[in-house]
Amino acid sequence: MGEARVHISGFRMDFGDTTVVRDLSFDVQAGETFGFLGSNGSGKTTTIRALLGIYEPTAGILHINGRDFKPEHGDRLGYLPEERGLYKKEKVIDIMTYFGRLKGMERRTAKRWSLEYLDRVALADRATAVLDKLSSGQQQKVQLGVTIMNNPELLILDEPTKGFDPVNRRLLMDIIAEQKQGGATVVMVTHQMEEVERLCDRVILLKDGTAEAYGTIDEVQNKYGGRIIRIRHTGPLPRSPHYEVMLEETNYSELSITDATDEAVILKDLIDAGVTVRSFTTTKISLEDIFIRVYGDQNKPSTSGSAGAAGSGGPAASRPRQGV
Amino acid sequence: MAQHNLGTVVSFEFIRTVTKGRFWIGTLSVPIIIAVVFGLIFLSNSTTDTAAAAQKSAQFSISYTDASGLITAQDAALFGATAADSPDAGIQAVQSGAVDAYFDYPAHPETTAVLVHGADKGIFENGKYAAVAQATLTHAVEQRIGSPQLSALAAGKAQIETVTYDGAKESGGLGSVIPPLFFLVIFYGLIVLLAGQMLNSTLEEKENRVTEMILTTLKPTTLIAGKVIALFAIGLVQMLVFLSPIVIGRLFFPKELSLTALDLPPLILDPVRMTIGLLILVGGFALFTTTLVAIGAVMPTAKEAGNFMGVMMALIFVPFYAVALVVSDPQSVIVQIFTFFPFSAPVTALLRNGFGSLSVLEAGIVIVILFVGAAVMLRLAVRLFQYGSISYTSKVNIRTALRAGPRHPAAVKPPTTGR
Repeated sequence: MGEARVHISGFRMDFGDTTVVRDLSFDVQAGETFGFLGSNGSGKTTTIRALLGIYEPTAGILHINGRDFKPEHGDRLGYLPEERGLYKKEKVIDIMTYFGRLKGMERRTAKRWSLEYLDRVALADRATAVLDKLSSGQQQKVQLGVTIMNNPELLILDEPTKGFDPVNRRLLMDIIAEQKQGGATVVMVTHQMEEVERLCDRVILLKDGTAEAYGTIDEVQNKYGGRIIRIRHTGPLPRSPHYEVMLEETNYSELSITDATDEAVILKDLIDAGVTVRSFTTTKISLEDIFIRVYGDQNKPSTSGSAGAAGSGGPAASRPRQGV
Repeated sequence: MAQHNLGTVVSFEFIRTVTKGRFWIGTLSVPIIIAVVFGLIFLSNSTTDTAAAAQKSAQFSISYTDASGLITAQDAALFGATAADSPDAGIQAVQSGAVDAYFDYPAHPETTAVLVHGADKGIFENGKYAAVAQATLTHAVEQRIGSPQLSALAAGKAQIETVTYDGAKESGGLGSVIPPLFFLVIFYGLIVLLAGQMLNSTLEEKENRVTEMILTTLKPTTLIAGKVIALFAIGLVQMLVFLSPIVIGRLFFPKELSLTALDLPPLILDPVRMTIGLLILVGGFALFTTTLVAIGAVMPTAKEAGNFMGVMMALIFVPFYAVALVVSDPQSVIVQIFTFFPFSAPVTALLRNGFGSLSVLEAGIVIVILFVGAAVMLRLAVRLFQYGSISYTSKVNIRTALRAGPRHPAAVKPPTTGR
């Protein structure tokens, strides 16, 4: 591994008597695109805010480029917060120039960059319009422009596609890809698993304030069995120690292979059990499947009485490091 | 970088306010109203002058009777007046149109009114009768005295100047009161005009959800200090605009605008009192601004924050209920309380400074209270902003916020989204 752009170690965050994040540790390497995943309330935004100095952590180390983040270091940071907005009563060009200047750009440079960006996203004619007069999608484009001003070396995007229409989502993804090509490190907090699979080099799954899984997408998939069997069949499926039934309908089921058993063995076991198999395909487990597996139980009534218990919901083997 | 960003915030906040049309509508409305009033005064004075000049040169026939014996035939002839046989005859001559006016001078014009009867020529024109009756009598009396100098003195036109002493040192009187009181006017102007803007200055970041992006590029202290400085500059611009018609009027149209009645005594700029006034102004402004910003940081919306505006405004008007005491008995308990209670201190201390009853020691204490108070409120405002501005939809628990350490999130509820 190269230089860690983001280093978090032993991070804990309490809000009064409530612990939102506990003993969280992970690194994001320079130049990589990192997916920061988790259900609502799992501590993602809190972690980002603590990393950026908006919250003071209860315990732990949160470093960007080897030091605590301070606003003075924000010149090359692009941050798209989950709660987003800009000065609604100001002109688009004035807002962008202002943020450019706050990020250390000269006024003229910031203005020129802003105009070029607005031209690129088909908003050149709205440069002198008051932000409030723009449509929601146009405002999102402006927000995105502000985020990537001054060629950020670290982009932190909290739910970047939230509220974006498909066109703007595509624009966002193109821009993320461009930034990545330009050497930027990208941290994405998202629920969009397809985007994570397409863009991210590594991911961390946060659950109840602790890391549930951490590594490359392959590593995470492998930790959760890695393989899915999609089967069209007639007759009930037998229970088996080699797989877990993820989805079971009348004539279609999805099985997650939980050990190293060969698919052919499972097929033979099914046929031997009297199941009429009409199609049988094997694929890798998707992040979405993993997400559902990890967080699916959160909507079920709690029986343990400890919603925040660390380690619930995932195989012990997949538990990531708790402290790097 | 922090200093660079302070300049950036100040210029952004200043420019975006003064480039708004509604700012100039509000700001220019005051001098426009003043200019209109001055214009009306000018027109009125012009009309009066024209009428007076016309009366002076007006030729009209006059008859008179003089029971006092002061007016000689020569005096009357100078004004074209001829003696009437009797008051009744004089009045009848006016009513018949034989003469334009008849003046009935009584035996004791110093105690009894001179009766003037004239043909109606309209409100403005009718004034000429009284003017000529007065001029005739004045001329006759001057002739009796035989000296224009004595006549002027007898008419009470002697100029009198008063010089007072504070120990061996000459005190300035009214001329020394006005300049330091000017800081009080500026203070009121700034607070009254800008209180709403102060209250809403950080609410905007909160309501527009800009806070997080802002906090990653500049310190909250820089943001709030920048806003306070920009507000002060905006207030000064407004004050200058407001004063412009008065200054222009006094400089270029002193006679036309008939401001002689307001002629001020020579203004004395006492450097000590002026310095004290300036420091109290700046300290008081800083204290009120940071307090209003702190309130804004706690409240989720401008509407809820607005409820606190009345309280703050009352605090700057309360000292005026005791203004008589402030002037006449500055050592009374109530005035002392108003002088040293931070939020009533600016007005009370500026009043006392103007009237010369604020000692240097008291002024020093007030200035320290104001600046320390402003620093404390700035710190509080920054802390509340840091927490309150992230707490987008709910009020911040101030007590918890104050107990919490720097950037400790115990003061806020856990985020309701994302987390």
